[in-house]
Amino acid sequence: MVVGSVSRGCQVVVIGAGPGGYVAAIRLAQLGKDVILIEKSATLGGVCLNVGCIPSKALIHASDLAHEVQHADTMGLTVESLKVDLPKMVAWKDGIVDRLTSGVAYLCKQNGVEVVHGSAEFVSDRQLVVSSDDDRVEIEFEQAVIATGSRPMALDGFPHDGEKIIGSTEALSLQSVPERIVIIGAGYIGLEMGTVYAKLGSKVSVVEFLPKVVPNLDPEVGKALTRQLKKLKVGLHLSHRAESFEAGDPSIVIARGPKDEELRLEADVVMMSVGRVPNVEGLGLHAAGVTTDEKGFISVNDKLQTNAPGIYAIGDVVGGALLAHKAYQEAKVAAEVIAGEPAAFDSVVPAVIYTDPEVAWVGLGEAEAKENGHNVVTGTFAFKASGRAMSLDSTDGFVKAIADADTKQLLGVIAVGRGVSEFIGEATLALEMGAFLEDVALTIHPHPTMSEALQEAIEGALGHAVHMVNK
Amino acid sequence: MFVFNFPDVGEGIHEGRVVEWLVAEGDSVAEDQALLKVETDKAVVELPSPRTGTVLKLHAAAEAAIFVGDPLVTIGSSDELPEDAPASVDPPIASASAPVAVEPVATGAPAVAGRRPLATPRTRALARKLGVDLGQLQGSGSGGRITDEDVQRSADGGGPAVAAPAAPSGVVATTVDGEVERVPITHLRKMIADAMRASKHNAAHVTHVDEADVTDLVAHYRRAKPVIEERTGVRFTLLPFFIKALVATLEKYPIFNASVDEEQQEILFKKYYNIGVAVDTPVGLIVPVIRDADRKDMVEIAAEVADKAERARSRELALDELKGGSCTITNIGPLGGVFATPIINQPELAIIGLHAIKERPEVVNGEIAIRKMMYLSISFDHRYIDGAEAARFMSDMVRLVSEPMVLMARL
Repeated sequence: MVVGSVSRGCQVVVIGAGPGGYVAAIRLAQLGKDVILIEKSATLGGVCLNVGCIPSKALIHASDLAHEVQHADTMGLTVESLKVDLPKMVAWKDGIVDRLTSGVAYLCKQNGVEVVHGSAEFVSDRQLVVSSDDDRVEIEFEQAVIATGSRPMALDGFPHDGEKIIGSTEALSLQSVPERIVIIGAGYIGLEMGTVYAKLGSKVSVVEFLPKVVPNLDPEVGKALTRQLKKLKVGLHLSHRAESFEAGDPSIVIARGPKDEELRLEADVVMMSVGRVPNVEGLGLHAAGVTTDEKGFISVNDKLQTNAPGIYAIGDVVGGALLAHKAYQEAKVAAEVIAGEPAAFDSVVPAVIYTDPEVAWVGLGEAEAKENGHNVVTGTFAFKASGRAMSLDSTDGFVKAIADADTKQLLGVIAVGRGVSEFIGEATLALEMGAFLEDVALTIHPHPTMSEALQEAIEGALGHAVHMVNK
Repeated sequence: MFVFNFPDVGEGIHEGRVVEWLVAEGDSVAEDQALLKVETDKAVVELPSPRTGTVLKLHAAAEAAIFVGDPLVTIGSSDELPEDAPASVDPPIASASAPVAVEPVATGAPAVAGRRPLATPRTRALARKLGVDLGQLQGSGSGGRITDEDVQRSADGGGPAVAAPAAPSGVVATTVDGEVERVPITHLRKMIADAMRASKHNAAHVTHVDEADVTDLVAHYRRAKPVIEERTGVRFTLLPFFIKALVATLEKYPIFNASVDEEQQEILFKKYYNIGVAVDTPVGLIVPVIRDADRKDMVEIAAEVADKAERARSRELALDELKGGSCTITNIGPLGGVFATPIINQPELAIIGLHAIKERPEVVNGEIAIRKMMYLSISFDHRYIDGAEAARFMSDMVRLVSEPMVLMARL
């Protein structure tokens, strides 16, 4: 023991206070466990609250508003000179983050969760050390939950400096709108931030190694997104490998295209969004006996148990969908398993991309359903036939329902359009309840809403949609 | 292929009888076409086919008893029909005493890897709690959904749960005397009614009442209760003492733990002590059985009574938890009254009533003292048990509960 260090004991230690960690800690405390929550940063909430989900959605909303008022002539609205005060927008966003992170701290306190700030490192399967600048605490635990999350992956040739080459974190706190921004990687983060800066007036270029955006989703989704990116005058360079970076004013991003041609893009700022890697370095997983897969994600079973008895892992660090709501659910399952309850993770995980239009999906896609041996029937309703979409001046997109043609069981839903994130939860509930197409078709959806499109798509799959011609 | 199970037609019906098949194996059927006539205790109904296809197999013969969840017919496409399909019909799938309500999907389409069982999150959680593999279940719910009841039945080893309670709502009609609400009699109520009438009709009921001074028993109990509850986490009551006292008395008087085979004219002395405990539920009397009460300790009995009473009230008991009793105890005490004359739970020969414990002035050693007193009643079948025996039986049982040390010594 180092002189000056403090030794502590608790029943359960939770490492990382993101959406997985803080939820696990609170649920464990609710279940009567004595819990210590360890967080490296000064604030709780992890990437999601501090530099991810929430701040990005604030900027997306503000940029949407800016874009919309400038494109409302058809509705009889003309804005003479819109002023974008980015520092003020960022300060507004920071205020939201402060409210939410202090809210998490309050919830932890009220539930009796003790928070220790510092970096955790296992020294054995029952002990770890938390180090911070001015403290060193040894903690003995009976059980541990690893919830250390993930971070952006680096790309050779593009060294992160936080100014000219940035990640999503810095992109959420720029003090001026860059004239030219190049985004490397057309995943959901790249597309969301690209849309924000395009709407705020930047010239945005996106470089993507793969031949299409969102390649794992229904081809119609990629088409709808590509169409909208073109409307925003975003330069989309698919099948291009980002190779190198020349700093300067402007800097130059060099990429190579499918026919080996060189592409040179001018950039004031380059944002990297080429994927995320798990935060496992420095954790001492070896000392705890916890193994990871070849990409570094911690392997767990459906009870979120690692190979090391008594040690659990949840959230991004276990891989799968890197989404806060998946972490929430895993956190609750892990806490309940630790408390001796018969819990397991068996939920479908919905996902949303906050592009314009939004993309939301849950369950099986058409191709996946066929691979799983289903005889598939689908129904699609386009928002161009929706009264609500017209009244929002947002007729891009559609809702597609995927079902088993024989049993009529709903298997999946994919939606593209304004506000579809708000009703994908309904489709998720339908899947969890094992709904058949008739169950949704016979459920009244309020009119006029975007959610009606789900009912129409499902009636289409049954062959009796009313507000479109059945094929 | 699709197996059509006897659906839950509601109103508390959980069994029926096949009157007549309207289709044969090999026939084509259309959705909603009548498949068979089923008689329930309410009416004869025609069950329509849930889908279009070819009848591959009939699972129940005419006249067979069927239970909710039992497979009735397999429907598929004509190419799934075996060549020269025999027109024979399976024998009745199960006898009334051991219905098989849930069968593995082995006969159906092979489960495709990665497919989720058709069950709600709540049902999936119940399956985890009870250790039931949903992949092995065939749902009895809408479109083959696996229901909570399917999971419970599977966990209970295949016996069906008792019928779901029917909500007591009826049609209100105005008569010359005032408003009258006509509520259909539930299946459970009908079963209780039939059993009560048969018992009163068949047995020669006599009730003998004795009284016990349980001052010492209550004192011991009050001291032991907090210790037992803290150590075991089981809510401890007085009932296990009385069950133990009953078992000890039954060992001495075996005729009270017997039944009669009227046809063979033989008395069946039970070598086991399965004690029925009458439970008052919102829908009527249910009597779960504590098996082998002689071999369980009082804490085990307390836990089992609490569990079974709870599940009786939520209608989650399996049929076999209600059968096989050798003698019954009914604890009327908490509800007040002086004493009652219980009806024998046939084919048993006796039922013991426990009545309210009240403080009364008693003469003890020539002095008036305040003592905790209670009445115990026994209704017995005078055809096979004489009054003197019943008096001796009760006198012995009263001594055991009045002198807990004697009860302990006998164990």
